[in-house]
Amino acid sequence: MKHLESRHWIFGGLFLFVIISMALNVNFDMRVSPETKKMFTFIDSLPAGTTVIVSFDHEASSLPEIRPLALVVLRHAFSRDLKLIGTALLAEGTAIGYRLMNQTAAEYSKIYGNDYVYLGFKPQYIAAILSMGESIPETYPKDYLGHSYQNLEMLSTVKNYDDVATVISIADGSMTTHWIEYGASRYNVTVTAAVTAAMMTTYDPYLASGQLHTMFGGLRGAAEYEKLIGIGGSGKRGMLAQSVAHVYIILLIIAGNIIYFRTRRKRRGVS
Amino acid sequence: MTRRIAQIVCFAFGALLFALYFSQLPAVRSLNTTIMIDYWQIIFAITLLVGVISFVKISVTNIRRGDSRPYRIISLIGLTVMPVFAIFWGIKGDSPFMWMFEYVQAPMQSTVFALLAFFVASASFRGFRARSAPAAVLLAAAILTLLSRSSLEGIVPQIVTDAADWVRGNPSMAARRAILIGIGLGSLTTSLRVILGIERTWLGREK
Repeated sequence: MKHLESRHWIFGGLFLFVIISMALNVNFDMRVSPETKKMFTFIDSLPAGTTVIVSFDHEASSLPEIRPLALVVLRHAFSRDLKLIGTALLAEGTAIGYRLMNQTAAEYSKIYGNDYVYLGFKPQYIAAILSMGESIPETYPKDYLGHSYQNLEMLSTVKNYDDVATVISIADGSMTTHWIEYGASRYNVTVTAAVTAAMMTTYDPYLASGQLHTMFGGLRGAAEYEKLIGIGGSGKRGMLAQSVAHVYIILLIIAGNIIYFRTRRKRRGVS
Repeated sequence: MTRRIAQIVCFAFGALLFALYFSQLPAVRSLNTTIMIDYWQIIFAITLLVGVISFVKISVTNIRRGDSRPYRIISLIGLTVMPVFAIFWGIKGDSPFMWMFEYVQAPMQSTVFALLAFFVASASFRGFRARSAPAAVLLAAAILTLLSRSSLEGIVPQIVTDAADWVRGNPSMAARRAILIGIGLGSLTTSLRVILGIERTWLGREK
C-alpha cells in the first residue's frame, strides 16, 4: 500500500465506479437530441424496399461504442424493410460488420441475397468510393461469401449510387469524410453517419453545410436511438457507466484545482 | 535519370487523374474506373508488401540486438500465423482466423483503447488546472461537455446542455472549419507542388 501513488488510487476508483454502475440496473429517462431524432426520422421516412449502403468504417478498438450504434441502425433499417448492402472501408470492420448484419437479419427473419447482402472490404477507400460511384458490380464482382454479384437477386437493379438512397457510414475515424468528399461531392449520394462521440465535432462543419445529411453518435446517441426504436441495448446499459465516469472525472478536476490553488496560496504566503 | 523518369511518371499520372476526375465522357469514365479498380489495388498490394518486408527487417534486426526481443518475436509470430490461418482455413465463419480476430485481436485492441479512460482520469486530476484565463475557459467547456454527454437529465439543468451545444456549435465549429480549410489548402498546394516537380523530397536524396 505504501508504494501506491495518487494515480493508482484514481485508476482503482474509476475501475470500481464503472464496475458497480455496470452491475446496477438503473433506468434513466433520457432526452433525445435533435440530431439523433433527425437520423431516426430520415431512416423512418425511407419507403420499404429502398436500397441503403451500410459501411462499416471502423476498427476493432472502438467496438464497445460502435457496436450499439451499428445495432440500432441495422435494427431500425431491417424493421422498415429496407434492403441493405454491407461494405467495409477498413479491413477490421469487415468481419465485425458481417457478424452484426447476420445477427440483426436473423432477428427480423431477413434472407441473405433478398433482403441484405454483404460485399465486404475493398482496399484503398478513396478508390473504392469513387469506383462504386461508377459501377458497384465492377468494384465488387463477388460478395463477401464469394457469390457472383449478378446472381444476387437484390442487387440486380443496383448499378451505382443512383440506385441507392443513402450511405450510412458507421465510423470511428475520418472515413466518413471520404464518403462526403468523394461520394457526396462527386456522385451526389446522400451520406449519413453513426460515429463515435470523439469524432462528432469533426463532422459538425459538414453537417452544418449540409454535405453530411445527418449524423448521430456516441454511446449516448445509441441509447437515444434505442429509446426511439423501443429496443433496449448496450447503449442504454453503458450510459450509466459513462455518466458515472464523467462525474468522477469532473470531481477529479475540481479536486485537482482545489489542491493547486491551496498550494499556490501557501507558496505566496511563504514568499 | 531515374529521378527524372519518376518525376515524369508523377506528373503524367497526377495530371491524368486530375482530368479524369472532372470529365463526364463515358470513355474517360471507363478508363477512370479501370485505374481505380485495377491499378490502385495493385499499387496498394505492393505497398503492403513493402510494409511487411520493412517490418520483418526491423524486427529481425532488433531481435538480434536484443532490443524489445519478446515483443518483436510475438509480433512476428502474429504476422506469420494470421496469413497461414487465412490461406489454409479461410477468413469466414468459424475459421481459426476469425477466432483469433474475435477473441484475441478485437479484445486486445478494445482493452488498449479503454486504457485511455484511466489516463484521462489521472491527467484530469494532475494536469487540468485553471492556471490562466484561457485554461479556465477550456476547463469550463470540458465540464459542460462531460455533463451534457451523460444521462443525468434530472440532476443537471437544461441550461448546461444548451451551453454545451452552443460551445460545440460555435467556437468549436469555427476552430474545426479553420483547421479543415487549412488542411484543404495545404493538401492542394502540396499536391500541385509534387505534380509540377517543385516538391521533390519524396524522391529521396540526390546522389
